[in-house]
Amino acid sequence: MSFSPASFNHGYEFSQGTGYSLPEYEAVIPDAVHTGQTEHHDILIVGGGLTGLTLACSLAQLGVSCVLLDEDNTVGVKGASSRGICYTQKSLEIFDKLGIYERIRSKGIQWSVGRTYAGQDEIYHFDLKAQGHFSLSEQPAFVNIQQFYNEGFLVERIGQLGHAQIRWNNRVTAFEVTNQLACFSISTPSGPYTATADFIIDATGSRSPFHDWLGVQKTSKKGDDRWCIADVRFNTHPPKERHTWIEAPFNDNRAVWQHLMADDVWRIDYQMAPDADPAVVSSEAQVRERLARQFGQDTKVEIVWVGPYAYRSECVDRMSASAGQSEVFFIGDSAKVVSPFGARGGNTGIADADNLAWKLAAVVQGRAQRTLLTSYHAERHEAAVTNVLITNRTARFLRPKDGMERVFRNATIDLAKKHAFARGLVNTGRMAVANPYSRSPITAPDLPQSHSVQNVAFKWTDGSAGQLNQLLQWAAGMPLLLLWIDQPLQGDILRCVQQLTQNHSLRAVAVSQRKPSAWREQIIDPQGLLAQACGSNQPTCWALIRPDSYLAARSTEHRSAAALRQAIAALQGAQP
Amino acid sequence: MNTRPALHNQLSDPDGFYEALLDAHDGLDGQASAEFNARLILILANQIGDQSLLLQCLELAKKQA
Repeated sequence: MSFSPASFNHGYEFSQGTGYSLPEYEAVIPDAVHTGQTEHHDILIVGGGLTGLTLACSLAQLGVSCVLLDEDNTVGVKGASSRGICYTQKSLEIFDKLGIYERIRSKGIQWSVGRTYAGQDEIYHFDLKAQGHFSLSEQPAFVNIQQFYNEGFLVERIGQLGHAQIRWNNRVTAFEVTNQLACFSISTPSGPYTATADFIIDATGSRSPFHDWLGVQKTSKKGDDRWCIADVRFNTHPPKERHTWIEAPFNDNRAVWQHLMADDVWRIDYQMAPDADPAVVSSEAQVRERLARQFGQDTKVEIVWVGPYAYRSECVDRMSASAGQSEVFFIGDSAKVVSPFGARGGNTGIADADNLAWKLAAVVQGRAQRTLLTSYHAERHEAAVTNVLITNRTARFLRPKDGMERVFRNATIDLAKKHAFARGLVNTGRMAVANPYSRSPITAPDLPQSHSVQNVAFKWTDGSAGQLNQLLQWAAGMPLLLLWIDQPLQGDILRCVQQLTQNHSLRAVAVSQRKPSAWREQIIDPQGLLAQACGSNQPTCWALIRPDSYLAARSTEHRSAAALRQAIAALQGAQP
Repeated sequence: MNTRPALHNQLSDPDGFYEALLDAHDGLDGQASAEFNARLILILANQIGDQSLLLQCLELAKKQA
């Protein structure tokens, strides 16, 4: 079975403009091409986009070997656009763990003010700096940056870390199950070879060939909404704010998005007439005319990239599928496709990778049973379904059906100009968050849900600055136990922690609000921010944090050694 | 007692309500939609109950010139 090269074009059928120059990497020709032998890998990642690279980098960070196949020799889509541009705090925290956050921060743009308009009127604005719930983390609420930069940073980081091998110009052309194992035919510029793998990660994106190969069931919805992206530079400097028009006078009263990215390039998204012809609406002449209407005839505009896009929503019914004894996991766009509103595509793909990486590492390194991997579906499918639901609601607000849907939108916009309550109904995108998990088999039963613990700052005992990500790094794929020591500890929890530490089931650190103690591994949290980030409103005795920063268990009682043992067993894949 | 209409959001799930409202209209023609709205307004008015509050809401809904 084979698939056409167009399978990977992400729906950008056509583009104009000078484009970005992207790095090119050397094709990798494995020995198997010459020997004719079938390779075997523990972990094979297919697709070197944002999620595939994040997973490869996370595995490399944990010292796990894997092979990543990419069909071309560069990041991004050749000569193509900015694509995912808005990265959430959770994604930035993940990139911080992987060692590329500083590069993203210095290249990208931080923004906090967003304004929404209808016609000439500003309906409302917000300032994220004034919103407290972002403040616990060392990372900002958002950074805007073109997607291929993050992909390029990941490639370079993987090169430094080793363990993960990226094979450029290696295209998967067919799939079958041989001797109970998933077996791939792969083409390279020097000829084909075959490889089998125990764990396969489908990171091929929105037109995954795996869905047909494996008979994957999915739920889809196709709309007629059409957009045109323009990446442009100006000789003037619009404010560094996110501007959104629900009805833009300069775009025939359809929606427009305006975002700043790296390199002084602005990303302008124009909503087009339903089912508009992509080639016409994205012609450079039409885009220049639209830009002149928006920014004035005198503004000099350099068009970096222009292209149309349409979107659909789609979600697989299961996040993994068996192929003989092999298991195939769907991550990023191969698991779910959403409209771009609220930046819920790329960011949740990054979270898929972060969720799966430590579990695969624990299984491959023999620290957990294979059953742990079933929690990937439980957790990330809940997230995918939520993100599909939320983005569909936004899409419906931005492209109402004629008739009552449009009547209600007009009424909402009218009321929102005067009354605060209606602003809450104006839905131009609900920004992505770290989705909580409410049905996970590996969360302690007494927690209503597992949430992501922000990357909180604290002090080391010598007074220097530290942050949670450093502790997670030190835990190296094991669960991290925070143990609050300002109240006296009961003997059995101490013995339990000692034992679990000795058999490498966890790493523990003592937390005090006040001063150094006899504990060797200790941190100082003067304002109690860690307990706050762990979500407890009562004095916390201990909290168990997973390598992906999600809370696994928490206790407000010191006589809770059994609960801790149970939580650790769940993270090792033990059936309840 | 003179209760004022609430102008801040009181909906526990604004997006969810908006979606349910549009779903309720799905498949209805113009006349059926208008009749649905009329029934809904009467039901909601009864939930509010307070005549003075209802009259103020009627004023709020009038389109200002």
